[in-house]
Amino acid sequence: MISKKLIVTNKFGVHARPAGMIVDITGKSKSEITIIFDGQKANAKSILNVMMLAIPPGSEVQFDIKGEDENEIMEQLEKLFNENFHEESY
Amino acid sequence: MKTSTKNRIKAKERIVLVGVPASPGYAMGLCHTVSTREVSITEENIPEERVATEEQYFLKILNTTTKEINQIKQVTVEKLGTEEARIFEAHLMILKDPTLVNGVLSLIQKEKKSAQWAVHFYVSSLIKQFESHTSALMKERSIDLKDLYHRLMDAFDDTGTVIIDESIKEGVILVAHELNPSTLISLNKDQVLAFATDSGGRTSHVSILARSMELPAVSGLKNVSALVRLGDNLIVDGTGGMIIINPNEADIKKYQEKLEVFKRQQRELFTMRQLEPITRDGKYVTLHANIELVSETDKVLDYGATGVGLYRSEFLFFRKGLPSFEEQVEAYSYILDNLAPHAVTIRTLDVGGDKLISEISLSNEANPFMGWRSIRVCLDHLELFRTQLKALLVANKKGNLRLLLPMISSMEELLSSKEQVKNVIHELEQEGFDCPKVELGVMIEVPAAVILADKLAKEVDFFSIGSNDLIQFTLAVDRTNEKISSMFQPHHPAVLNMIHKTVTAAHREGIPVSVCGEMASDPLSSLLLVGLGVDELSMTPWSIMECKKIIRSINFEEVREIARNVLKMNDTDTINAYLKKKYAQTIIDLGIFSYISNSDFCEISDSPLQQL
Repeated sequence: MISKKLIVTNKFGVHARPAGMIVDITGKSKSEITIIFDGQKANAKSILNVMMLAIPPGSEVQFDIKGEDENEIMEQLEKLFNENFHEESY
Repeated sequence: MKTSTKNRIKAKERIVLVGVPASPGYAMGLCHTVSTREVSITEENIPEERVATEEQYFLKILNTTTKEINQIKQVTVEKLGTEEARIFEAHLMILKDPTLVNGVLSLIQKEKKSAQWAVHFYVSSLIKQFESHTSALMKERSIDLKDLYHRLMDAFDDTGTVIIDESIKEGVILVAHELNPSTLISLNKDQVLAFATDSGGRTSHVSILARSMELPAVSGLKNVSALVRLGDNLIVDGTGGMIIINPNEADIKKYQEKLEVFKRQQRELFTMRQLEPITRDGKYVTLHANIELVSETDKVLDYGATGVGLYRSEFLFFRKGLPSFEEQVEAYSYILDNLAPHAVTIRTLDVGGDKLISEISLSNEANPFMGWRSIRVCLDHLELFRTQLKALLVANKKGNLRLLLPMISSMEELLSSKEQVKNVIHELEQEGFDCPKVELGVMIEVPAAVILADKLAKEVDFFSIGSNDLIQFTLAVDRTNEKISSMFQPHHPAVLNMIHKTVTAAHREGIPVSVCGEMASDPLSSLLLVGLGVDELSMTPWSIMECKKIIRSINFEEVREIARNVLKMNDTDTINAYLKKKYAQTIIDLGIFSYISNSDFCEISDSPLQQL
């Protein structure tokens, strides 16, 4: 299993659209993927679970990935976070 | 939304309502009310043998709704592009989400509820969870789920989502309690001229969509949907944020003129891109763009800027793990190469204060804005600083880099930083790398730098005033503190004198001064800055065309005179009143939306309102 912390740097946090972009990546994977924010764990393949975490801008979130493509998926998530979900940064 | 008849106005009574200017523009037409139904669904228990039927029904509803959203998504892609359509991508994902599907199915299977009640119960409870969040941002986000909720309920009712009668030939003005993004996007623009709603604000998704669809809109009107009747005459003033129900002839004439002017201005604004930012008496004011992301590079020239006045490099660093030397070279090269020969100002790492990065452990400080931040962090982490400098210098293949040092508060800091730049250049030359020229500048954002400006000016090629920090430090006002945020006054005489002193010191040494904070894009402030002798204004790309328009309408000698007068004034209120008296009308006549939509406008708009 690999685990990494990423920072949410877009202006409005993880609302429906960014959550959808996360699930776009995680949904394709065969690995088990957990997103952890503020002590709460959620299934990162479910857009609703990700949205319900209500992650505000500036937060640190952790991804735990376990499976064959763990490195590849983590890389894609990192890229998405670094690109601010293609939104304005805060 | 229930509309009770007793609230209604008398037939053809003229009423003016003021709300939030959600999307600029004007429209006149007949009112078309849309009610978002108050859905009341009764809890229904079903016999065992109906479970399978209800399950099938639910899956069918999911299917219908998915198809519908796919259609809307398609239209959005065509009308507004793929980025705007992503919201519907998210809606589609929610419909497929196993949490939702299994949650509803289990209510049907285990609790023996009807499909409609199960969906109603499950989705409403999700909405409630969202609304219980303390953050206003998250509360506003529940609109996406509400949108889906209504869509699913509509599918159960089999009424579809066609809210505008196909037979309506003339353009109408839509009035509703609340509008959903998907309703808005499915509107036919030939049929709907504008809309007005009871709820919503400037930053809600619907308002943003309306602006990108160029559909005039006023929101936050509180009870408009209860007041109007189908077929009332309406004027929507999306620029001023008001509507007139049953306007009289004078109103109609006045707004016909406004509409003409507005259309002409829209066309002009676009042609403005090719024109030079020159005052009527021939003074050239450089207009640069502020960018935060490498991907914004294309916008710079598209919006008519002639270079970058501020690229905040720290956004490369907001991530886990510092960007490597190679990654930095790649990012900087992209901007520098694509914009050459235009100047690109890149500010070295400015962390701390309100921006934290995970790699450099920044402890919780009592006063982060006055703490270990920016150039102070860089000079304590020379490896980090030198890697960035080296990447910048290597990327500067075409010699259009302007290197900007933030938060300089002493000569020592400047000289140590310059020493580092010199060393890195020397190292690169030793490696056989040819370093083209690079301009070096400092941010003037700490009062100490203003006081030392005449000395600093001898050591650098340009100054860049960071107005937000300079105001904050000069006035000792943290604008994020609500109790005192009204004391954050860009036109405070102390601030203006600071700027004046900086410009004087710079020009004595023959170097230019740029302003790259929010002040540069505020229409009244930008005039004053030009008058104070500021050579360059740098702002978000979409403010550039408006600013160019202002500059082309003024006389440099006149704004200089105004700045001289302002410098003699003792207090902010007098200065603001004077500036408004001199230029507010000019700006309104130019149709500058950013000005009209900000709160200051209310004071000015009193007069046109009273004329009605």
